[in-house]
Amino acid sequence: MAPGVVWARTARRACRSGVLWGYVFGISVASTALSYSSIYKTRAERLRLAAAFGANHATIALFGPAPQLQTVGGFTVLKVFLTLTVVGAVWGLLGATRLMRGEEDAGRWELLLSGGTTRRAAAAQAMAGLGAGLGCLFALTALITVVVGRSSKVHVGVGAALYFALTLTAGAVMFSALGALTSQLAATRRQAAAYAAWVLGVSYALRLVADAGAGLHALVWVSPLGWTEELRPLTGPHPVALVPIAAFTVVVATAAVALAGRRDLGAGVLPDRDRARPRLRLLGGQGTLVLRLGQPTLVAWVLSVGVTGLLFGLVAKSAGATISGSSVRSVFAKLGAPGAGTDAYLGVTFLILAVLAGFVAGGQMSAARAEEAEGRATHLLARPVARPRWYGTRLATAAVFLVVIGVVAGLSTWLGAASQDSGVGLGALVGAGLNIVPPAAFVLGAGALTMGLWPRATSPVVYAVVGWSLLVDLVGGIGALNRWVLDTSLFHQMAAAPAVSPHWVSAGVMVGLALAMAGAGTVGLARRDLRGP
Amino acid sequence: MASPAIRTESLTKRYGGLDALRDLTMEVPRGAVLGYLGPNGAGKTTTIRLLLGLARPSAGRAQIFGLDCQRQAVEAHRLLSYVPGEADLWPALTGAETLHVLGRVQGQVDEAYRDELVERFDLDLTKKVRAYSRGNRQKVLLVAALMARPALLVLDEPTSGLDPLMEQVFRECIFEARDRGQTVFLSSHVLSEVEALCDQVAILRGGQLVEMGTLASMRHLAAVTVEVVFEGPVPELAGVPGVSAVRHDGEVVRLQVRGAPGPLLQVLAGADVQRLLCHEPSLEELFLALYGGDGTAAGDGGNLP
Repeated sequence: MAPGVVWARTARRACRSGVLWGYVFGISVASTALSYSSIYKTRAERLRLAAAFGANHATIALFGPAPQLQTVGGFTVLKVFLTLTVVGAVWGLLGATRLMRGEEDAGRWELLLSGGTTRRAAAAQAMAGLGAGLGCLFALTALITVVVGRSSKVHVGVGAALYFALTLTAGAVMFSALGALTSQLAATRRQAAAYAAWVLGVSYALRLVADAGAGLHALVWVSPLGWTEELRPLTGPHPVALVPIAAFTVVVATAAVALAGRRDLGAGVLPDRDRARPRLRLLGGQGTLVLRLGQPTLVAWVLSVGVTGLLFGLVAKSAGATISGSSVRSVFAKLGAPGAGTDAYLGVTFLILAVLAGFVAGGQMSAARAEEAEGRATHLLARPVARPRWYGTRLATAAVFLVVIGVVAGLSTWLGAASQDSGVGLGALVGAGLNIVPPAAFVLGAGALTMGLWPRATSPVVYAVVGWSLLVDLVGGIGALNRWVLDTSLFHQMAAAPAVSPHWVSAGVMVGLALAMAGAGTVGLARRDLRGP
Repeated sequence: MASPAIRTESLTKRYGGLDALRDLTMEVPRGAVLGYLGPNGAGKTTTIRLLLGLARPSAGRAQIFGLDCQRQAVEAHRLLSYVPGEADLWPALTGAETLHVLGRVQGQVDEAYRDELVERFDLDLTKKVRAYSRGNRQKVLLVAALMARPALLVLDEPTSGLDPLMEQVFRECIFEARDRGQTVFLSSHVLSEVEALCDQVAILRGGQLVEMGTLASMRHLAAVTVEVVFEGPVPELAGVPGVSAVRHDGEVVRLQVRGAPGPLLQVLAGADVQRLLCHEPSLEELFLALYGGDGTAAGDGGNLP
């Protein structure tokens, strides 16, 4: 087998993806920069924008810092920097785990390694391939950014544009390396991706707390996302932040290569507990089996939502205080949270939690679909289990799961807020938590209906419903959208509690529709052929 | 009279424009061990899915012990166990936990028999399913099906992935099940296994039932294979009535004879025969006779692709 095969394979696939996402990054930057001068035409408008968002801790915590909004550079950074950094980090870790652990798990590395490449060399080659992909990401982003920079509307120099492109890819670089490391630690691709995602989540949380103006700004140096923030492209470049970024990448990548030599192919460094004494709790029947199988997911989501809610609660008071009397009010009002202060801020954070709940619902339906498609449902349905009972149990369990998440969201936010004497009541917050359940229930119902009628479309449909609702609500928050279009967004229909009191009628309608769709889906499932082995 | 274990009437399944199964009418009496054969795509798995209520027929109906497979599926499932050819189990559960939950879902388990099966199949129940090899997962499914001691066993390629030792254990279990009066419906490619286990055979081709009956009654379909080793000159055998597919290999001649062997014997009596071997057609030869022209040379090892 020719040397460099692993490199070539990995590089080919990473570069394809890198070029595509580099294009996406570049276009995002271009459209934001180019539209700035048409949205904010006069200097007066631009200064007003800067005054409104610039020092506002509420928006800084959620969307990242925004210095110099009166310049096109500052505006572009506000709009795209944090989002693209996080997207890049997710792309990096998913790509790394897929091209390293995923390939290994699929058995393809066994074929390549039998030719004499050592495991260490293979890992090093694969990481070099990932590096090539990152290079493509940077190249495309840089190319488009430089070209846009030359436009008279934007007027950004080549050096500044290149630096900006570099900062945008920094997140992807760090988390690619991290994905390579977790591929050595975990036993399966999913575990590897999960470990890396946890680190990303914690980085985001630390950065959020650091930026929320609670006096903890030093925390920004503990988080990889914080380092990218400190680079301050286009508004006051601070290249010294490149040092921790580079150091992190080098250390993590070296560790990944070193560990690759120390483990068996197909295994992980951390022991994979493959034997256990039987624990027969929750294995008494097909209904409780759903609970048993769903336990790890439930625990993970409860923890995530709990920590997120806690953080939002902690920063609510200080962030909310900066909203009063600023133009941020109008944006928050468009998102459904009028007014000022802690309540308005929390209205927007619960919107974010509602999106998370929507994704949880999507995940539950995808899991149900996978049970059927991969044949595990056959073991139950070829036994004395009626299809409506099997399906109904899964849907009911998912619905209860959503309610638990809603309650946890409310409770944890209250805990965080109460510790800062924010003055928001427990009842209002638990109500706000429960208020995020109806849109998620609608997603669950839509998924149930799709799976009953057209199972292969289940995952695309549920994620499209969540994505569409999110997109419409976000765009509606920034600009003006037709009322009818806005009404199609589940998150727009949901009241932004606790900024306003929940619309129990809309909530009831969403739940009612969810129940109707679930019922129709159950009938559909009972009548169609089962797909899968 | 008690209803047969399986009865189908004009069972048909269409997928789009394609007939996966056409007008299947058959009866499997209680206590029979039926081998269900056919090339890939013949409709064997479709038949099983229709019997289990996992798919809906386009026409016709099927009954298990008199219970309609679609409308009374749950009651029918209480009386049967199914081993699929390939299906995932839950990776996070151990073998023991998997058997426990499947037993509880089925509703009946002979626990002493289950423990005996685990030992005979040499299963390590403390391992998680994700750590099992494919063969071990198949063993879990077999134990899960057998331990319920169901009246009907529906098996779709049950020994795929099993080593020969375990195949032997499986065969013993099927013999024991038959001796207890359980009915077995075995869909398999392993002709030697079907030959050893089944007293009845049904052959499916292109979605239609081509042949069904006992092996003995079907042997007439294929010719007897004869191998003759001559000492002296080899006589001309191609023109002898009933003889076909004559192949010369030095002084060894292989041929097939259908119908009365008289004319062949007369020719052989006149020649210098050192050795004569005749054997009845194996299931594989029978199979090939139905599918691949008439009676070519005996196959290898008894497995068809």
